[in-house]
Amino acid sequence: MEYIVETKNLTKRFGKEQAVSGLEMKIPKGEIYGFLGPNGAGKTTTIRMLLGLMRPTSGSVHIFQKDLRKERIRILNKVGSLVENPSYYPHLTAGENLEALRKIIGVPKTRIKEVLKIVRLEDVANKKVKGFSMGMKQRLGIAASLLNNPELLILDEPTNGLDPSGIIEIRQLIQRLPHDYGMTVIISSHLLSEIDQMATTVGVVSKGKMIFQDSIEEMRKFAKQKVVLKVSDSESAWRALLARGMRADWDEKNITLLNQSDENVATAVKYLVKDGFSIYRVEEEKKSLEDVFLQMTKEERLV
Amino acid sequence: MLPIMSSEWYKLSKSRILWILLVGPMVGLFIGLTANFDNLGGGPNEWYVKLLSMNLTYALLFLPLITGVLASVVCRYEHQEGGWKQLLAMPLTRGKVFISKYILLIALVMVMQLLYLGSIYLVGVIDGIPEPFPLNIVWKSIFGGWVATLPLVALQLWMSILFKSFAAPFAVNVIFTLPTILVVNSERFGPYYPWAQPFSMMYIGGNTEDIFFVPWDQLLIVVGGSFLLFFAGGYLYFQRKAV
Ligand SMILES: Nc1ncnc2c1ncn2[C@@H]1O[C@H](COP(=O)(O)OP(=O)(O)O)[C@@H](O)[C@H]1O
Ligand SMILES: [Mg+2]
Repeated sequence: MEYIVETKNLTKRFGKEQAVSGLEMKIPKGEIYGFLGPNGAGKTTTIRMLLGLMRPTSGSVHIFQKDLRKERIRILNKVGSLVENPSYYPHLTAGENLEALRKIIGVPKTRIKEVLKIVRLEDVANKKVKGFSMGMKQRLGIAASLLNNPELLILDEPTNGLDPSGIIEIRQLIQRLPHDYGMTVIISSHLLSEIDQMATTVGVVSKGKMIFQDSIEEMRKFAKQKVVLKVSDSESAWRALLARGMRADWDEKNITLLNQSDENVATAVKYLVKDGFSIYRVEEEKKSLEDVFLQMTKEERLV
Repeated sequence: MLPIMSSEWYKLSKSRILWILLVGPMVGLFIGLTANFDNLGGGPNEWYVKLLSMNLTYALLFLPLITGVLASVVCRYEHQEGGWKQLLAMPLTRGKVFISKYILLIALVMVMQLLYLGSIYLVGVIDGIPEPFPLNIVWKSIFGGWVATLPLVALQLWMSILFKSFAAPFAVNVIFTLPTILVVNSERFGPYYPWAQPFSMMYIGGNTEDIFFVPWDQLLIVVGGSFLLFFAGGYLYFQRKAV
């Protein structure tokens, strides 16, 4: 398989602390790769190494099948990026910020208007970025990353500090990039739900180690939400459900349905009522990122 | 390289800091106008009196200090809001960024020197000095002063990349510049102190047989040597800096 990004044994140590350990990242073309992990997991450090901003302690990075150490400039010609908080020159306007970068890349001046339009900042092109809201700065950062028509776009927590409507806007923007412009996108986040809504491939990193890397469908199996029933005499209720051929778990207090389709939940409730149990609660249990991690590690899906 | 330099100039030109280039020449002008021919004892040529008193303050203090401020400015907006990481993730080499910023700085110092040349000329016009403008001496002083700041610019650029704060590189600059006032009077240390070189090389009272009023070996060893040291230091540091 041809990968747009492939790291081998990528490792970064800060003193004694191992921020990234033996990372094997594999990103196929045209994917939106969700790089998921809690704060401090090593996402930003990894991204810095992908861009050559920081040298790995060991290991290698290949982008577009080229060695980053040897062909950094040729690679970065086709990479757009936004690392951690949005970067900008506070003394310049939005348009001037892009112009300062455009002079280096050498794309036509009209490209500035185009990217400002893509992120819907064309009305504030002549305003100083200093006074921008966090969301506007993020969008300007994305505009800057699109300036060179990249084939690979790397966005590090691009929805950080945005309000819900801003998040939706950025999500919609990112989702159309692979289709509209043939880009491959890496997007990092510490929010499971965010990755779930955008990514097509997922890499989960925890304490610097990649603990899962597969398609979003595979990950959803881990992140599946459960429906929990709180009933009177839960053990007998559980046995009654099993006797009627339903799949369920029991853990001292609660019954968990393994098939949580609407239909299945309704059937289970119907049977329990019929069999004379009192139903106190029917709840959906959202899994936290930690739960998912725990399960991933437990099931040894280590990659 | 040209695209990077054009971007650097663009960023700096929008920072409204360029008026600072006027400070040194203005101070020079003021001192030149107040320096009095009579109470300085006088010499054969009034220009010399003017030049000596103007150069003292300008070359000893303002030239090196303002050079440092300029170096801080071209790095300040990179430090402020993540400029470095955005800039260095672009398809360019760090070496070219360093050299571009350096060339921009020395070009600005040259502009400042030329403005100072204008100040000298203006003093002569305003005071109505009868003798002809001593261009053959003054150009040596102007150009020599510029050459002498080349290592200082390199060090200040290094310090400005190293320190995120505006004050730290300025403090380094002041710490090395202030002793110049004592050092220039010392026959033993004066010739070897890099921060004293702008003064020595602008000092028209020096040996006019030498190019730039200092001996060639002093120019090569002190100015050339400190340039190599500071430029290589900053260049290599920037190569390895994690951003
Ligand atoms: N420049 C640095 N120096 C020392 N430690 C660092 C540096 N950058 C990151 N770290 C440490 O490396 C770990 C990973 O950080 P980071 O990559 O920023 O995580 P994430 O982006 O996933 O939140 C953290 O423990 C952080 O403290
Ligand atoms: Mg981060």
